[in-house]
Amino acid sequence: MKKLWDRIFTALITVLTVISLLSLGFVLYFIIKEALPVFREVSLADFLFGQRWSPVSLNGPPAFGIFNLILGTVYVSFLAMVIAMVIGLGTAVFLSCVATERVRSFLLPFIDLLAGIPSVVYGFVGLNVLVKYFIRLRVHTGTCVLAASIVLAIMLLPYLVSACTETIQKQAELHLASAEALGLSKWYAISAVILPASRKNILLSMILAVGRAMGETMAVMMVMGNANLFPKLLGKGESIAALIALETGSAVAGSTHYHALFAAGMVLMVLVFIINTVISVIRNHYIR
Amino acid sequence: MHLREKLAKLWAYGSMALVAAVIIFLFGYIFQEGCQTLTWEFLTQPPGGTVLGSTGGIGPAIAGSLWFAGMALVIGGIPAIACAVYAVYFCRKKGVFRLIRGVMQSISGIPSIVLGLFAYSLFVRILGLGRCILSGSIGLGVMILPFMEVRAEKAFLEVPKSMVDSSYALGCSRFYTFQKIILPYCKGELISAVILGGCYAMGATAPLMFTGAVAYAKSPTSIMEPAMALPMHLYLLVSQGQASMPAAYGTACVMMGIIFVSNLAATQYARRCRAKWHQS
Repeated sequence: MKKLWDRIFTALITVLTVISLLSLGFVLYFIIKEALPVFREVSLADFLFGQRWSPVSLNGPPAFGIFNLILGTVYVSFLAMVIAMVIGLGTAVFLSCVATERVRSFLLPFIDLLAGIPSVVYGFVGLNVLVKYFIRLRVHTGTCVLAASIVLAIMLLPYLVSACTETIQKQAELHLASAEALGLSKWYAISAVILPASRKNILLSMILAVGRAMGETMAVMMVMGNANLFPKLLGKGESIAALIALETGSAVAGSTHYHALFAAGMVLMVLVFIINTVISVIRNHYIR
Repeated sequence: MHLREKLAKLWAYGSMALVAAVIIFLFGYIFQEGCQTLTWEFLTQPPGGTVLGSTGGIGPAIAGSLWFAGMALVIGGIPAIACAVYAVYFCRKKGVFRLIRGVMQSISGIPSIVLGLFAYSLFVRILGLGRCILSGSIGLGVMILPFMEVRAEKAFLEVPKSMVDSSYALGCSRFYTFQKIILPYCKGELISAVILGGCYAMGATAPLMFTGAVAYAKSPTSIMEPAMALPMHLYLLVSQGQASMPAAYGTACVMMGIIFVSNLAATQYARRCRAKWHQS
């Protein structure tokens, strides 16, 4: 009887694992399969580097170029990462070198609350608070790449802070006491020893943050303005994720437009995939 | 003090203060603005008015969100935990372990909007399920699967290997060991992984946009119906403009309230379970 249960349990777990791995593999396959037909009509170079995206032929032939959108996605994610890094690294230094254990165990979950807020709420607050400031600063309609980056930066903060705190804390335990014993002041030790020592891991979490930021849809879509333009700091821009969210509802199923949206999704996926691969390569080869 | 040291100190204290201020502002702003619309009617009535949400409430959206999150947990949570159990306890070959890791990593790299696109074209269109809770939950389920797998795997890895090995050495079967040793040990972590997965699913809009969430529906009674969902409702309210702003604040407030409370409950529960084991 006991043996039977054990067998059932083993079989159940194995079967479930195999099924889920297969279906997850199928998800990847399906997205790629639906994306490829677009390249029968548009060349890869035109798709990636074309500046014009007009899926319906109003004047002239339809065009599917997502260059501006790729740039918009990368620009907004990169800028968000930089903003989040400046603030997040400072916070991590505070948490790992200044705060006591008790303060830290209170503040870290407190910062983690940010990770729980749905992205649509970020977009909503961004639209109601941040965008109004930008209007006051004479930015047309207030929605711009910078606003989206700031909102996105706040969303990235909890991940960056927890990753950096962990790294810096380790380095501080290793070096802070000996540095102070050598007569260095605490803040000199932090800026000259501990931060340079944690450089590699911090770099990793920065790349990871860019990958995370690129897939973000709602918050970015709500404050970025969604115009297919070459992204400028105070101008409107559009991200790939926003393109898919905005146009899938109106794309004729099976049309080139529809496949082009899948292809845009695939490009986004490939970008994130490249970033993740770079990270694991760095992690395996350059950091013990 | 040297200038560099002063700057470093200023930077650390300043950023911490800024982060704390942002968090307090976000929660304070939403709760303060949202509280003004929160009434029993708002929580239970369907939305109404010529402009969506200018009168009425969000009753069906709360119900719909719970359905979506629940279904997503069934579709994504069970395989996630099964995969984690397999990866930690069953798989003997390093290659299989790497394969599971690799698949989970690639899936977590798919942006949620692309998962929405996937669920839309496969389930809504090709398989003809139409917009319904099931189609939407599949997108959500795939989204939370790697999220939960990583957490479950971490929980299983925290079980001391010596305990598991001793149990095997005493001749206990794998099922018995799992039931009596592993499960009780990481119950707290597992349940908190489930709750966090549910919260993640509940707050996501992108996978639902074309697959299951609609602007107006009654409280759902089966998984084959479309339903309203809180995040989608908030997005629609925001795009309606000024007339539905109070309702939008209310919706955001309810959503943040649900997620805040469940987050808190999950972490506290996990902490208490852990404390119990480490005492004895």
